[in-house]
Amino acid sequence: MKSADEVLVASAQQGDRRAFEELVDRHKQKAYHIAFDFARDREEAKDLSQEAFLKAFMNLKNFDGRSGFYTWFYRILVNVCLDYKRRQKRAPSDEFDETVLNEAEPSHQPAKPVAPEQHVWAGQLSRKVDAALAALPPRQRTAFILKNHQGLSIREIATLMETAEGTVKVHLHRAVTSLRQSLAEFA
Amino acid sequence: MAELNHPISSPCRAFEEDLVLLHYGDLGGAERDTLQAHVPSCPGCSTYLRELAHLLPLTVKADEPTESFWLDYNRELRSKIDHAAKGSWAAKIADFLRVRWMPVFATAVVVALALTFTLGKGLWPSNNNSTEDEALLEALPVAENLEFFKSMDVLDNLDLLEYLSSQNNGNV
Repeated sequence: MKSADEVLVASAQQGDRRAFEELVDRHKQKAYHIAFDFARDREEAKDLSQEAFLKAFMNLKNFDGRSGFYTWFYRILVNVCLDYKRRQKRAPSDEFDETVLNEAEPSHQPAKPVAPEQHVWAGQLSRKVDAALAALPPRQRTAFILKNHQGLSIREIATLMETAEGTVKVHLHRAVTSLRQSLAEFA
Repeated sequence: MAELNHPISSPCRAFEEDLVLLHYGDLGGAERDTLQAHVPSCPGCSTYLRELAHLLPLTVKADEPTESFWLDYNRELRSKIDHAAKGSWAAKIADFLRVRWMPVFATAVVVALALTFTLGKGLWPSNNNSTEDEALLEALPVAENLEFFKSMDVLDNLDLLEYLSSQNNGNV
């Protein structure tokens, strides 16, 4: 029996735009959060996840269904995010968006009055984390984000990064070691 | 085997990589059992694990956009897809023309030129005149100059007459 995604993909491949929009609706939140983990910026995350959907739409004819739609799409998304990081490295920007930090508080938590010193501490931490993540070599950062933020297994990361599981473990360990050193003051 | 005599914040070097995996719950089998037996008795490794548990979640920046964000998201994406779809149709048409029709056009032009040069010779006005016309054209200037030559003959005759008259005067 076909999954809902498979049915939608089959319809979308026949040119049914509504079916593709349904696929977007099913996966956009996950896609956005993955992009946000890489970009750490709301607008960038929106653009990146939309770019991934656009690429999926343009290449849907080439999707052969050997893997699930989400697996296929996930790889497109991660590649888009990695390309973005590479582009960003060529044109670095150290701007820090305070509004994102304020908006970043999960909506399900009641709004609590935040002491000014806590605000300052959160700002320093966010800046430090951004800088520490940006300083990681791309493959270490990818392995770390996919593990720490996305909760993928080592095997899944290895498949996505097209490398051996042992290599992923090494990347992850080195990333954690670097971050631990960079964020020692917050430990 | 890694020993326990490290400073408090340093884990046993041999276990460091596995401790990261243990933190993420990605260590299985005998390695996990060994580490779980080791950690409670090792201040360095247990501190390291506590540090990871405190520090690594801080690197995650949560973001929960509002409903209006998602409405904008859908609208923007639909517009981008529309634009890309139109672009792709235009590109497909251009590709189709470029790939299939350019050789056809080129062949048609070559054939048309070949036909024009081979079959269409008589259809075009030519500068080549027939031999009769050429003879006439050659004769015309001659005819125009006939009077001149006649007058030249008269002059020649005058010379002759003068010569003859001078001869006659000498004889006289």
